[in-house]
Amino acid sequence: MVVDSRSSKQSLFQRMPGSIKLLMALAMILAAGLIPLENWPAHGLLIGIIYIGLSIAGVTTGYLLRRLALFLPLLLVFGLSAPAVRSDGAAWSWTISLWLRCTVSFLAGLWLIHVLPFRELLITLRRWRCPAVLIAMLGFMYRYTFILWDELHRLQNARAARDFGSGPWWRTWSTNSQMIGLLLLRAMERAERTHRAMLARGWDGSIRFLEFDE
Amino acid sequence: MHIRDGILGPEVCLMAGVISLGAVSYSLRRIRFDLEDRAVPLTGMLAALIFAGQMVNFPLLGLPVSGHLLGGVLAAVTLGPWAGCLAISMVLIVQAVLFSDGGLMSLGANILNMGVVGAWGGYGVYSTIRRTLGSSHAATVAAAVIAAWLSVLAAATLFCVEFLLSSHSSGFDPRGILTLMVLYHALIGVGEALITGGVLAYVLGRRPDLIPELGKAGPVGRVGGFAVSGVVLALAVASILAPFKSELPDGLDAVSEQVGLSALEVERPPLVLEDYAIPLLASWPQLSVSVAGILGTLIVFAGAAVLAGMTRRTASSIVTTDGSHGG
Repeated sequence: MVVDSRSSKQSLFQRMPGSIKLLMALAMILAAGLIPLENWPAHGLLIGIIYIGLSIAGVTTGYLLRRLALFLPLLLVFGLSAPAVRSDGAAWSWTISLWLRCTVSFLAGLWLIHVLPFRELLITLRRWRCPAVLIAMLGFMYRYTFILWDELHRLQNARAARDFGSGPWWRTWSTNSQMIGLLLLRAMERAERTHRAMLARGWDGSIRFLEFDE
Repeated sequence: MHIRDGILGPEVCLMAGVISLGAVSYSLRRIRFDLEDRAVPLTGMLAALIFAGQMVNFPLLGLPVSGHLLGGVLAAVTLGPWAGCLAISMVLIVQAVLFSDGGLMSLGANILNMGVVGAWGGYGVYSTIRRTLGSSHAATVAAAVIAAWLSVLAAATLFCVEFLLSSHSSGFDPRGILTLMVLYHALIGVGEALITGGVLAYVLGRRPDLIPELGKAGPVGRVGGFAVSGVVLALAVASILAPFKSELPDGLDAVSEQVGLSALEVERPPLVLEDYAIPLLASWPQLSVSVAGILGTLIVFAGAAVLAGMTRRTASSIVTTDGSHGG
């Protein structure tokens, strides 16, 4: 799968337990949130550490720059709205500390998605005594997501073949809504079929896990 | 819409996380009664559907950016508030952990703003309006459209509260932020409302049995009723007061100036909701909020009427052809 192919690369972090990885990323984000602006070298240190982590996880600098290019403009605009709303001297230092905090957190999140496959996340959640129903639902959602993405691509292809991507914007809005509606119909019918198939195989609503652990 | 890490303070994230944890576990308990053994496949599918639906881009009048569905009200209308809340929460979890879209630490705040307020609150508004209007298709669509718009506005307001409660954002003028957020989200909400209405109109035309009838009014419904009457009352007051204020010579130009430079009265405590509702006469930003509110409401009601009309037409034309269509 597209998503997991990124996080299942061989690396130092692969054998590390999922809960440690999750806690490490959270600790980085929390630290970035608590360090005041006067200690800005600490933010730089955090960014350096995460960058090393990202390179060990096999993230190329080109990919990193592409992700940052999508993320930074939004952050810049959001930060610049602060001096517009308040006129006291603290506005600019607030903006800069916001940029630092958000960048560190974004990089830490990026590291996490590269070292934590979804299956490992579910194992970790189970270890943290997350309700079994929720984990089962998450597992189902993950499976269905890729099926529905394919379905959506087929619908979009079919539409593109018919209208050549032209038409006024309100028609696009109405066809797009109808496309989501059709996707909803097919999805719910598929869920009902799946449910019947599960019943045929002895589903009674309770969830049993095989031991996932290696 | 997703709050990134670093925008809210850690203490606010913790608080919001505890609240959403409670809400999610309550939803988990209730869903067992509502959907019984169908809960797992149906809710999983609904979450996947909302996720896939968010991939569909809606063009914005020649702008280079595009909007997409948020889905709180759509999910709640399809499978009820409990499954809806869970589905949105799961979408947010997957987006945060697999796509780095929305923060990890602010996951609780995101779930609170979009999942709990979007699905529970949205469903409360929806069921109240539908009870008033009756259970025709047109009424269902109209109720969902209005609920979707209000849910976006409520999420924006809640974000303002969370932002102002954060320790590192003290010194901001609550009214300035609220004005910006509400003005901006009044427009985003119109998009969300129209998409939700369009999807629902289509589904009701093809498979009306998928959209469940309402049960008897529970606590959520009563809260929704309270919220609706409050909002309607506020809008009524605002629309009565607006003409008096607009006779002032400097007109709407003053609004934009004051929105930018309204860091004048910082000594007010950051109780945004009080600021929002009561001192309506005190200054211009409030007025611009209510004007945005009225305009947005009018657009949303017009959209509701148009979509409801469309539903009636498609419903009558499709009845003869509807039958089996594969999936």
